[in-house]
Amino acid sequence: MTTLTFITKNALRNKRRALLCILSVAVSLFLLVTLLVALREVTVPPEDIGAALRVVVRNKISFTNPLPARQRAVIERIPGVAAVSPFSWFGGKYKNEEMMTFGQFAMDPKLIRPIFGEAKMPEEQYQAFEADQTACIIGKLTAEKYQLKIGDRLPLTSIIYPCSIELKIAGIYEGTIDDRNALFHHKYLDEAGGSDGWVGMWWVKVRSIEEMPRVTDSINRAFANSSAEVRAETERAFQLSFVSMWGNIKILVHSICSVVVFTLMLVTASTMSMAIRERFRELAVLKALGFRRRELFAFILAESFGLAAVGAVLGIGAAWVFYTQISIAKLTQGIFITFEVTPKIIGQAALVAASLGIVASIAPSIAVARTSVVDGLRTLD
Amino acid sequence: MAPSNIVSIRELSKVYQQGEINVTALNRISLDIQTGEFLALMGPSGSGKSTLLHILAGIDRPTGGTCHVQGIDLAQLNESDLADWRNQNVGFVFQTFNLIPVLTAFENVELPLLLTQMSGRHRRQQVSTALALVGLDDRQHHLPRQLSGGQEQRVAIARALVTDPSLVVADEPTGNLDSHSAQEVLTILQSLSRTAGKTVIMVTHDPKAAAYGSRSVHLEKGELADS
Repeated sequence: MTTLTFITKNALRNKRRALLCILSVAVSLFLLVTLLVALREVTVPPEDIGAALRVVVRNKISFTNPLPARQRAVIERIPGVAAVSPFSWFGGKYKNEEMMTFGQFAMDPKLIRPIFGEAKMPEEQYQAFEADQTACIIGKLTAEKYQLKIGDRLPLTSIIYPCSIELKIAGIYEGTIDDRNALFHHKYLDEAGGSDGWVGMWWVKVRSIEEMPRVTDSINRAFANSSAEVRAETERAFQLSFVSMWGNIKILVHSICSVVVFTLMLVTASTMSMAIRERFRELAVLKALGFRRRELFAFILAESFGLAAVGAVLGIGAAWVFYTQISIAKLTQGIFITFEVTPKIIGQAALVAASLGIVASIAPSIAVARTSVVDGLRTLD
Repeated sequence: MAPSNIVSIRELSKVYQQGEINVTALNRISLDIQTGEFLALMGPSGSGKSTLLHILAGIDRPTGGTCHVQGIDLAQLNESDLADWRNQNVGFVFQTFNLIPVLTAFENVELPLLLTQMSGRHRRQQVSTALALVGLDDRQHHLPRQLSGGQEQRVAIARALVTDPSLVVADEPTGNLDSHSAQEVLTILQSLSRTAGKTVIMVTHDPKAAAYGSRSVHLEKGELADS
């Protein structure tokens, strides 16, 4: 018999309780990982491969304020700029839906490939889209969700522009980090909705990463002190500015995480206390046989740590397998896109489990250390 | 202290504090126990015999006097040194056997050896020898619940012997056994003293059990009645 055998036999002496403890740790850590992944997805939005070279230019006052279309020529002349496209959020409801379930953006159809190169679509679909002013392309997720196919009509009623439009689906793309959006001709929006002369934002492709700081700075300076001052920033910075609006959600999720961890600690500590209390007499016998306090503490710690570790492997492992294997975008109807269980999150959850194992062993260890051999031997079984 | 004495107790007292009341369990006891002796500690309940046994086995501390075992003043050892000393020098046999229920007979006997530097092979040999000594070499892989009371107590004796201690202390070892099993256990304890030269100190109520010992000591109200 090794010390490990002894610890394992003790940990599993009440199999049902050990199993319930392991399951409670596993389920709680699964929940914790889920919350942390959800929080990460909300606060650190997924990034497209091409995002590093994209600059978003919006009205300095607010992104809800439009920008004059004449700015395009000025931006295009800035050295380092490869392409500039208007990018206006249409805010359309599909058919009779109560809420908007996917984004629709009007842009320059010829610049989709230069700016959003990661969107994969057959060449003939690109050509069909560029050729027809009423055409649009939609992401694969939206197409699957509404069972749309090429040639179908996409009626949209805007909550921003005083108009309704009907688009013809010319292509279905995939390969972006969020394959949900619909893209259509800005010219069509201009003619249909009276946005002529105005755009929502500018989406700019820069030639190289080295030129990014200079280009954003130049764009900002180009319109300084004008009637429509702009704020140019990287796509990443633009996304994160949205995230700052999620402040309360972050606090809420953090609070839930804290409650989960605290509850988990109570459950584990209670299980360990029960397990040790009913073995008080045996631990006193071990003391009489020559085992020292530190060795008994090591036994209790190893047992507690072991239960937490098995629970952690099950819970974190299940979360990792589950979120890797399933299509979270489909499951959540596009609310979450990647839902990636990162090594950092695995590390955080493992750290919680380890702390749990240690904390749960403290109270029983102190009780064992404080009890003399004679008092321990008097304990009833 | 005479060289042949394994235990030498002088003016030993133990006073327990229960709230504001002091309860004297042992009152200025002096006693010598010779190496290889089989001593029966007798007396009514509450006479202090178990307390005396606990002190000379190093699991309790006196409040007065001295207790030398093998020439060592146990009061001078700290908790950790005392634990080491117990592991190397004392074998315990309890009334309720106190075997670990999830371990087999073999593993229970092996338990004190986990604290030693002994190799696995040597350990296994030692355990087998101890179990053979108590006649349980065919029950090595049985769990305590699969053994009779007498067999459990014999496993406990094997556990007490496996580290080859010079002192074996037994607290009412036959208290939970039928007469036949009690006789077997007492015979083993007697032979430990007679043939293996171990010093055995046994607490008992039973005069028949005490008769197996080479000497009896009676305690009453914490004091030696006679010897």
